[in-house]
Amino acid sequence: MAERLKAILPSVLSVLLALAVCWALIAFTMTSGTATDAYLQMLWGGIGNWPSFLDGAAATVLTRPLGESAMKAALLTLTGLSVAVAFKVGLFNIGAQGQMILGALAAAVVGAQLSLPSALHVPAALLGAALAGAAWAGLAALLKLYRGVHEVISTIMLNWVAVSLVDNWLVIGPLRGVAEAGQSITGTAEIQATAVLPRLLGDLSRLNLGFPLALLLALAVWAWLARTRPGFETRAVGLGAEAARAAGVPVARRTGVAMALAGALAGLAGAVLVLGTEGRYPGTLGAPYGFDGIAIALIGNNHPLGATVAALFFGVLRAGGTRMQLLGVHKSFPELIQGLALLFVAGRMVWLAVLRRRQASPGSGPAPAAVTPSTEAPRV
Amino acid sequence: MLRLQVLALAALLCACSKKEEPAPAAGAQGPATTEPSARKPIPVGLVIDVGGRGDHSFNDAALRGLELYAAGKRYEGGKYVDATPTEVRETLPPHMASLASSIQPLPVKPMVLQSKAQEDYTPNLQLLVDQGAQLTVGNGYMLANAVRAAAQENPKARFLLIDSQVLDAQGKVLKLPNVRTVLFKEQEGSFLVGALAGLVTKTGKVGFVGGIEVPLIQRFEVGYRAGVKTTNPQVAQTLMSVYTGSFNNMAAGKQVAQDLIAKGADVIFHAAGADGIGVIQAVKEARAAGKSVYAIGVDSDQSHVAPDAILTSMMKHTDLAIYQATKDLVEGKFSAGEQVLGLKENGVGMAEVRVDFPGKAEALQKVDALRQRIVAGEIQVPAVPAELASFQAAAP
Repeated sequence: MAERLKAILPSVLSVLLALAVCWALIAFTMTSGTATDAYLQMLWGGIGNWPSFLDGAAATVLTRPLGESAMKAALLTLTGLSVAVAFKVGLFNIGAQGQMILGALAAAVVGAQLSLPSALHVPAALLGAALAGAAWAGLAALLKLYRGVHEVISTIMLNWVAVSLVDNWLVIGPLRGVAEAGQSITGTAEIQATAVLPRLLGDLSRLNLGFPLALLLALAVWAWLARTRPGFETRAVGLGAEAARAAGVPVARRTGVAMALAGALAGLAGAVLVLGTEGRYPGTLGAPYGFDGIAIALIGNNHPLGATVAALFFGVLRAGGTRMQLLGVHKSFPELIQGLALLFVAGRMVWLAVLRRRQASPGSGPAPAAVTPSTEAPRV
Repeated sequence: MLRLQVLALAALLCACSKKEEPAPAAGAQGPATTEPSARKPIPVGLVIDVGGRGDHSFNDAALRGLELYAAGKRYEGGKYVDATPTEVRETLPPHMASLASSIQPLPVKPMVLQSKAQEDYTPNLQLLVDQGAQLTVGNGYMLANAVRAAAQENPKARFLLIDSQVLDAQGKVLKLPNVRTVLFKEQEGSFLVGALAGLVTKTGKVGFVGGIEVPLIQRFEVGYRAGVKTTNPQVAQTLMSVYTGSFNNMAAGKQVAQDLIAKGADVIFHAAGADGIGVIQAVKEARAAGKSVYAIGVDSDQSHVAPDAILTSMMKHTDLAIYQATKDLVEGKFSAGEQVLGLKENGVGMAEVRVDFPGKAEALQKVDALRQRIVAGEIQVPAVPAELASFQAAAP
């Protein structure tokens, strides 16, 4: 238990510290009253306005904010899982953004072009998105396994390829939605009603099936990594590929499968966005949920459930953060909080690294700089 | 593992630094007004595009309509301060100066939300409705779907959609009882700046830079081409037109403008949002290098971005449209439906020409003559490329 607490505590403290720093920043540039009000607005915007609900306001003051938070959290959970899974096999998947873009496009195309009954259409669109994301990540895995291209380089490049291919060509070119003469339209054609992820609360909020789906996938990924043999082998590869190979683990296969899974998860994030709330591939998919996934995974300590908790928290922050604008606070503060939290988590890593180096060479001059053998046990 | 994580952080920081935004100001609503007004100010909401506040163009025009014209406020450092009537007058081109007196501050409280991404549009509109906005403005055709969703979900709330009609899933026009839509005849204003470009060019080559190639932006190009054709048919044949494919990529705008300048264009009209700021930069740099090149701005009077480099701007008065809707709301006369505003209705126009060039007075006279003929209905400016070939208008 104490061990687990030690793993969680730094992230929690980092987040609290980030909140405090941002509060101070707002208080410094405006007034402390505004800063507190802005935080309250953010809270009510994220978890529902309980005071006004208790005063007799309609239930939508609770359900709408909660629904928005859940939808943001669903996206962040999926991209966070994507990055976390790749981390487990020892790869840094910076390409979740590109995989998400491909997934979103696949979901939009399947959703708009196929005519299927609802029971088949939604799974088909989700499957299409997962396959598209997996294929995009698979490219990076193949380059890594057969040509030795570092996955950071290839996934960054593939992100830009995805943006150029999808945002700058397909969506404004061949796949652009058609409208009546003279009307301008943004994005691809609208998906059919049968492909829309069903809403869970009807008119009360935009909460849809995407949120439980994301939670379910987080549980499944955790179970796979922690409780199955392929999952164990995947972690073993991440902790030391050579040792794993010596122990008879099929390293290439584990790497490829984990990377494809990472891509599929990011692709599903795109599908949840398109099938859940947007109804089409928007003109540009500007929001960097894929990059946010890296932050979510790190703050969640690369644990599938940790990433989920981090995603829930930042989902609340993001959805509620819009309301800060009503008080004249800049729209970027929620992102700033996330960025600072990440910075503080990183600070902890640097600190640990320094300590470890000290311990490795007690009083015998500088430690060998290049080698920092990982002493972590394979845990999830 | 640890090294991997540190590497991850380094890469992430690189990724994050791209998202930083230079504009310090954002948000809305300062402290509650303490003016002794007879009734509580009516909240009016505005959701602006991802381009955000400070684009010197489309979004700033909408903000001007709601904040400066309707509320009589100026946004400064996260707060609203009272604006003077002079400030209102300065934003209007000379031929519309008479309108200044009819723009009086209304008892409204602006609530502005900026969007970080397209998927923010719907929740932002909903949030403003939930905050009690009596009228909520969606600024731009990219918000058409979001306005449709919000209007259907909140049948009692009223909406104003700029630049687009509400479209259904098949892309057909959908009439909603609580949405007013405003379209502009961009081709008419673009015709005037095109006519001026045809008179000003020395190299005999002019250019056009568009954002995303949708019918809306094509109207700018077609009107511009028709204008050039009217005053300088030879130049019209070699007119160079490029679309950047985006509205928020300054670098792309700059690149295509540099290309056009290298090919000899000396007047470049842009209808490309923030990409256009890149166009203006390219023109500014070319001027600094000794070339005589002009840019023509769009939507707002962009002269202040680069006073020497901006020949004029094709004004699109979304500001007046938003003011009018707000006024109708305050007076209880707000009605849904479709408005189409052209030169005649002061929906579009040409900004004051502040730079000097040989033959300026004569050129402006010719352009004004054309303006009067359009207002009088003698010239029908084409709006789609197909009509361009058969378009003929006698040179002034």
